[in-house]
Amino acid sequence: MRFELSEDQQEIQGAARELLAARSTFARVREVAEREEAAPTGMPDLSAVTTTREDEALWKELGELGWTGIAVPEEHGGQGLGVIELAAITEELGYAVAPVPFLGSVAAALVVQHEGSEEQREDWLPHLAAGGLRGAVTLTGDRAPVPGAAEGGLTVVADAAANGPAALYGPGSGVVEEVDAIDPTRGHGRVAIDALDPEGELDGRGEWLGGTPTATGPGLDRATIVVAAELVGVAQRALDMTVAYVKERRQFGVPVGSFQAVQHGAAQMLRDVTMARSLTYHAAWMADAGDPAQLPVAAAMAKAAASDAGRAVTAAAVQLHGGIGFTWEADVHWLLKRAQVDAALLGGGGHHRRRVAAAQAAGGSGSGSGA
Amino acid sequence: MDLTFTPEQLAFRDELRTWLREHGPAGALPPEPTDEDEQWAWRRAWQRTLHEGRWAGVHWPTEVGGRGATLSETAIFFEELGRAGAPLPADVLGILLAGPTLMVWGDDAQKERLLPTILSADETWCQGFSEPDAGSDFGAVKTRAVKEGDEWVVTGQKVWTSGAQYAKWCMLVARTDQDAPKHKGLTYFVLDMEQEGVDIRPLVQITGHPEFNEIFLDGARIPDSMVVGGVGNGWKVALTTLMNERAGLAFFLQVRLRQQLDRLVAEAQATGRADDPLIADRLADLHVRTEALRLMAWKGLTAIEQYGQPGPEGSLTKWLWSETNQLLVQLAVDVVGSEALTGNAGWAFELLRARGNSIEGGTTEIQKNIVAERVLGMPRGR
Repeated sequence: MRFELSEDQQEIQGAARELLAARSTFARVREVAEREEAAPTGMPDLSAVTTTREDEALWKELGELGWTGIAVPEEHGGQGLGVIELAAITEELGYAVAPVPFLGSVAAALVVQHEGSEEQREDWLPHLAAGGLRGAVTLTGDRAPVPGAAEGGLTVVADAAANGPAALYGPGSGVVEEVDAIDPTRGHGRVAIDALDPEGELDGRGEWLGGTPTATGPGLDRATIVVAAELVGVAQRALDMTVAYVKERRQFGVPVGSFQAVQHGAAQMLRDVTMARSLTYHAAWMADAGDPAQLPVAAAMAKAAASDAGRAVTAAAVQLHGGIGFTWEADVHWLLKRAQVDAALLGGGGHHRRRVAAAQAAGGSGSGSGA
Repeated sequence: MDLTFTPEQLAFRDELRTWLREHGPAGALPPEPTDEDEQWAWRRAWQRTLHEGRWAGVHWPTEVGGRGATLSETAIFFEELGRAGAPLPADVLGILLAGPTLMVWGDDAQKERLLPTILSADETWCQGFSEPDAGSDFGAVKTRAVKEGDEWVVTGQKVWTSGAQYAKWCMLVARTDQDAPKHKGLTYFVLDMEQEGVDIRPLVQITGHPEFNEIFLDGARIPDSMVVGGVGNGWKVALTTLMNERAGLAFFLQVRLRQQLDRLVAEAQATGRADDPLIADRLADLHVRTEALRLMAWKGLTAIEQYGQPGPEGSLTKWLWSETNQLLVQLAVDVVGSEALTGNAGWAFELLRARGNSIEGGTTEIQKNIVAERVLGMPRGR
């Protein structure tokens, strides 16, 4: 039993943090977010991309470094590592609010890898792994903006009910409508598919994931864990920024961080982040090495905690920054906006608690048994 | 990340499970009595049974009757005890706090005299740290010990002392130097409770139970040989006790929480209340929190095993546990209905008892202060 990243995993995460600290500064994030013209993201050919809500150079670099394919099997052009390593990197991308379409692409790759047909894997994974193709995953009936969803990308739509099927929509399928989300640090699309009818056709636009309408699970669970990991990173950054700020900011002749009300607010932030991170890495471990039967509940718990933590912690960060925290000038709002979108992505806290409750009703307590 | 147990740990767990099946609640252990004194006798007998199976102090070295178990094995022990629905041994304070503190700070004569009777429950312990004006503010301890010949004469008052009415020994912190700065003038003693000058009065709580006591010390005597860790070192020695307190109980408490939650889920399902989406959401939230507690306990343990000291999880875990338990008992009232508001047992008792969770062992406010100042490095509070 070792509830901690291994040395290799820590090294991967440390390298990611270091690179992003240089490449994805708040100044750079702001530059991307404040671009006047935003064009759709998700073009398969990077050279065709002109102005987008993303840092093309960073995205290209991440593709070359192999980050986008870290959890994709080697035979499909990836590095063949696990969800733990992927979560460790994604946490850092959240920490840096990196303006890249990473989250959607790796989530789509996980779903295709674990639930797609062999043909679908061969078709899509190498492109997703290389970062040339954007991906996105969303649930049916969800009108939320989907990070990474673009007309030129690959879109996975999974039935929001636990045992429904999922469909794949390739570039140019016409299911994605570009939208301006509250998070301007990356591109978003809306996927207006309210239901997937296993008896019906997919309008000729898409194909069933895995070839036939079968229940989704292991891929979508992994994608959910990765979204939770980004939320953990976003929340951790909000906490770090806030603590640094309240140590400096003085009122009544003392740093505001010496006020107990402020201290207790920060302590609550740490507690929320710690809960979410523990559940997220536990779920990631379940995905890589644990009991597959326990993965759905572990993933649901992770996302429930991370969605709640992401919202609460970034909101507290704005609050504890005081008036300055409410301004466009302060960077803390990038975190709040990213957290809000991620909290809703692939189901919010309530959605995932319903999954936990359903597992309870089915007789599984949802408790790990100490592995 | 590696959340699997080693073959040795699995063997340890299996051996314990087998033993518990025979001797625990499913086997030879009689049901828990309701009368307080009978309950104590019952838990004391249970500790003797544990001791006979060499399970009383699993983390104690083998030469003093333990198993020399690793931290992980100790955690497994508590998880399994909880899973079997078995009670804690009677003298938790002796096993988890006094014994380990003596092993670090006690001299040979003290260890020889005091350790053997702890695991067998022949002599039990209480903890004389808190005072009416010194709860979380440990430096404000006023109880005085004055040297007279080769004895110390103690005068003062202690409070929140659980088990005092049954205890032979008390881990007592008293002021031995009035002039030294707050934390410097304290000394850690072992006080014999069975003497004149020690007056124990039950302190009835909001549950109606006298779980705690007040102790009035008026000329009580402690031989010089019962000073632990040297005169003036009381603060340092007491810290050992407090660290053990935070680390030791986490596993048992989270498993107890899990048992309570399973019981509540069963009741909610039996009554159909689990179908109410609001109830279902709150139950699921409790599952999320309880699982987070389990993982944070293991995470804290990894930190100790890897770096020799606990991570920040201790205070977070204590706070999250107390809050979650309080949410749980409050939900129980909503699930069970007004039935839970009658009587003095079951959920009615738990509802009231849980109010103490966020106060005992360091209030939630203090835990937040610790987290803010020592973990997040924020400026000292005001």
